[in-house]
Amino acid sequence: MLELWNAGPVALMLNSLVALSHYLFGSFGLTIIVLTIIIRSVMYPLTVKQLRATRAMQELQPKIAELQKKYAKDKQRLAQEQMKLYKESGMSPAGCAVPMLIQMPIWIALFQSIIRVLAVTPEAFLGLSKYLYSWPIVYSTLPLGNNFLWFNLVNPDMPLAILVGATMWLQQKMVTPVTTDPQQRSQSQMMLWMMPLMFGFLALNFPSGLALYWVASNVIGMVIQYFVTGWGGLARSRAGIPAGRDGALKQRIAQVEQSPSRITAMEADIVESPSTQEEGLGYGASGDKRQVGRGGYPTSLRAIRRQSRRSKGHRHKRR
Amino acid sequence: MWIKHNRRLLGKVLLLLAILLIGGVTVSGCVGRSPPKGWSGAIIADDTLFLASVEGKLVALNTSDGSRLWEVSLGTSEVAIYGTPVVEGDLVYVGGYNGRVYAISSSTGDKRRVYPLDDNLEPIVGGMVASQGKVYFGCSDGKVYALDAAEVYKEWEFQTGDKIWSTPAIDGETIYIGSFDKKLYALDAIDGSKKWEFDEAKGAIASTPLVYENTVYIGSFDRYLYAVDATNGSLRWRSEVEAGSWYWAKPVAYNNVIYAPNLDGKVYILDAMSGYEVGDAVDLGSPISSWPVVVDGKVIIASQEGKVYSLDTSNNQVGLLANVGDGGEKIYAPLCAGDEVVYIHTQTSKHDTLYEVNAKTGVKRELWSSSLSSK
Repeated sequence: MLELWNAGPVALMLNSLVALSHYLFGSFGLTIIVLTIIIRSVMYPLTVKQLRATRAMQELQPKIAELQKKYAKDKQRLAQEQMKLYKESGMSPAGCAVPMLIQMPIWIALFQSIIRVLAVTPEAFLGLSKYLYSWPIVYSTLPLGNNFLWFNLVNPDMPLAILVGATMWLQQKMVTPVTTDPQQRSQSQMMLWMMPLMFGFLALNFPSGLALYWVASNVIGMVIQYFVTGWGGLARSRAGIPAGRDGALKQRIAQVEQSPSRITAMEADIVESPSTQEEGLGYGASGDKRQVGRGGYPTSLRAIRRQSRRSKGHRHKRR
Repeated sequence: MWIKHNRRLLGKVLLLLAILLIGGVTVSGCVGRSPPKGWSGAIIADDTLFLASVEGKLVALNTSDGSRLWEVSLGTSEVAIYGTPVVEGDLVYVGGYNGRVYAISSSTGDKRRVYPLDDNLEPIVGGMVASQGKVYFGCSDGKVYALDAAEVYKEWEFQTGDKIWSTPAIDGETIYIGSFDKKLYALDAIDGSKKWEFDEAKGAIASTPLVYENTVYIGSFDRYLYAVDATNGSLRWRSEVEAGSWYWAKPVAYNNVIYAPNLDGKVYILDAMSGYEVGDAVDLGSPISSWPVVVDGKVIIASQEGKVYSLDTSNNQVGLLANVGDGGEKIYAPLCAGDEVVYIHTQTSKHDTLYEVNAKTGVKRELWSSSLSSK
């Protein structure tokens, strides 16, 4: 099984890295960044799906908390009600996990191939030979240059480790939901700090090439996240308002929509029902698809949306 | 009180921490971020065999009965040794991955000299050669060094374009060495001046050159073997056949035929004059990184998986001579030819062993073994 994994995805990624570096002036640092961008672009639809599903799940949290409180002593009923809520809101709890699970092997293969190409010891370098394709370009390009910017890609680098932690913190901050529940808030805070610290620590124990990949991946992730969900928690921490790019709008939506049935309307963009397709789609300030007409927002709300779009002057690309 | 209140949260945090740690360790373990271990070959001088162990010790053995004469730790901590030691006068020289050259008394095992004294060079991976009172080696800093053999000070150095893992070859007053910069260099052994450089290989060079009949034979990562005029560095031929992987091991020559092992597991049999194949490549089924030797008209070759083969040069037929890899032992180190026997240094993650294999009968004898405690 491990042999198959190494001979398949890892070898493909590894040879792509080496071949790509041939066209990027032999700079392995540049190659890591470019390949990360390419893979991120290829997986963009999955990432967007995951981000939207995560956001939708976050927005359902108050309702779920309510249910948990209500059916604290009846676990079976709680599960039934939760499933009902998910069904009504048109989303699946697996919506967040499945895209992430699909992406995981690709990231692991990239991660492993970077470490293998950065073979430091003679044993590792000798082992590298068995993964190489018979492309002349691969054989003539190796070994790759290890220096990039101020650091050696083979050795751990403190400034780069700090950069890993900082970019991860920013990305985490963007996805951290606003909550009034103190337990959830402390949980979010813990995650916000723990992940960057862990990855910063790992970056100090792995070759810098890997840290560079994490930094590139975080930055690209932030860009994608900005276009999908806005600044998120980062905007909230700056302005103190509970929303991202379309924050003011959402705040007002929240005021208008108070009944559970509205959740169905809000999150209908996660799983498109046939009726959605039949009735046509509108686009929100964040670029999200929204139902127009039956089951959509009230007229007054649509007016708010139009106003918000005009006042922000944002123009969003439609898919 | 706080713990009771946040018990669920603590549980989740601990679970996440465990996942991250296990994931990190698993992923790093899968890709083999292990420390360097070394794979030194053996050398025989006056019935004494010298070998650098994977534990970083230099060991002297009596070849007749295998008794241990002495052993000495090279550094205060374990030093990985990849290059085969060399003997010049009454000193044994060995270069370490820690970037230091050690000169040890061949009779007592006393540490006599270290180069450099206060500092370390970049890792030394290739072996050393000695001639006329000098010791030569290449270093990962891309330099070729010549040291005075008696006092162990630097006589000259020559800078190449990339790191050097190749062992130099010496012929008369010329040093030949390959570099990762894809070039083969010929240097004056006296003053280190460049005589010529050969730059027609398309891949890096980690293998050691073979000098035979005024021709230098060198294999490259571009999967070709090159024959270069030893006098002026001009290309005589490039092997007609493209191998399946890198040339790592030094080839051997016998009766105007070159036997060139490759990491694709094959031994290519080429005419020394033309580079044409004079026999079908012999497939041993496992990468070959160990240097072969010629004993009584037979080429003895070891594959990484621990099998030792004998290739009859009269008909190019190959047969299994011995299997020293029963216990998972791997062979990376160059073979060492003795009187009708071959010495083979094997290693596993737990121990390294020196075998003596009779080149005719294949009978093997374990001469020495060391268990690895800390690596």
